[in-house]
Amino acid sequence: MDDVLTETVPTDDLKRFEKVYHEQLYKNDVTPKAQFEYAWCLVRSKYPADIKKGIVLLQELYKSHDEGQRDYLYYLAIGNARIKEYSKALSYVRAFLSIEPGNQQVISLESTIKKKMDKEGLVGMAMAGGVVLAVGALVGLGMAVASKKS
Amino acid sequence: MSAGPYNYSYIFKYIIIGDMGVGKSCLLHQFTEKKFMSDCPHTIGVEFGTRIIEVAGKKIKLQIWDTAGQERFRAVTRSYYRGAAGALMVYDITRRSTYNHLSSWLTDTRNLTNPNTVIFLIGNKCDLEGQRDVTYEEAKQFADENGLMFVEASAKTGQNVEEAFLETARKIYQSIQDGRLDLYAADSGVQHKPSQPGRNTLTNDQQSNKDNCAC
Repeated sequence: MDDVLTETVPTDDLKRFEKVYHEQLYKNDVTPKAQFEYAWCLVRSKYPADIKKGIVLLQELYKSHDEGQRDYLYYLAIGNARIKEYSKALSYVRAFLSIEPGNQQVISLESTIKKKMDKEGLVGMAMAGGVVLAVGALVGLGMAVASKKS
Repeated sequence: MSAGPYNYSYIFKYIIIGDMGVGKSCLLHQFTEKKFMSDCPHTIGVEFGTRIIEVAGKKIKLQIWDTAGQERFRAVTRSYYRGAAGALMVYDITRRSTYNHLSSWLTDTRNLTNPNTVIFLIGNKCDLEGQRDVTYEEAKQFADENGLMFVEASAKTGQNVEEAFLETARKIYQSIQDGRLDLYAADSGVQHKPSQPGRNTLTNDQQSNKDNCAC
């Protein structure tokens, strides 16, 4: 129960749509519907490898299937944001908004992505700070041991 | 929102479902932004919105999943039904076909949610009285027969929009108070956030009393 960038697909659903896609793939007759449904589940997986696979499937669809272009762009943005490829995610958002400038759903996705970037920027800095502190502590300890010895 | 403890006691998960073009996203937007979106393109997949409300003095965060009405999204949007505490089922009072499809939406909801999920039927676009195609009475009867709560509302004027979202929350809250809804079941659609020391909720009082005794 979170938001569009953190909610995850139930495993049963992922498996169900995967099965349909693979059956069609085996017959060499994959419909855009089956590919999209599977890709939509993949980009909501908790595993980055699944998300990356979903992105590849969506990119294929984007090149080959005119009808669902806006859907593919939207989920390409979501997939990339979920694996922290933020600049790619935002470029898909921009591509979408250049076609449909006032789309609230996509504007809201853009702000969710930017908020996540902000938050992680701070977390990244905090982690770097933690490393500096740890190194400082080690140096301090080393100096204390050294001074005791002398 | 500042860091630190949550400023709400519960999270309720809602879904909004119904045929395409009935105004699901506009209802959500009216509820979260208090604005009417006049130019509302078709939703892609699912859209998400939140708002914090108050029921019986408790702050509750609503997490609302607004599903796309277009048929091509329907198979995957079903996975969002799971664990919904509230389901707003919407039709358009000016288009009978959207009303005729309600039983199919209801079947999906009953099959994919839990028995305590509160289902609220909304007849949207009630500002368009001149184009009415479904009477209030027949929809009310349908709701009564199926044990649903019901209002006619308008995402455009805002009429009854708050009521629908808030009534649903009150009913869910009531189920928690009555002990019918198990807060700890994975699919209850409710999360408890016992995070404000000294301001514990009813369900938590016993636990904290015990803790106090032990000290």
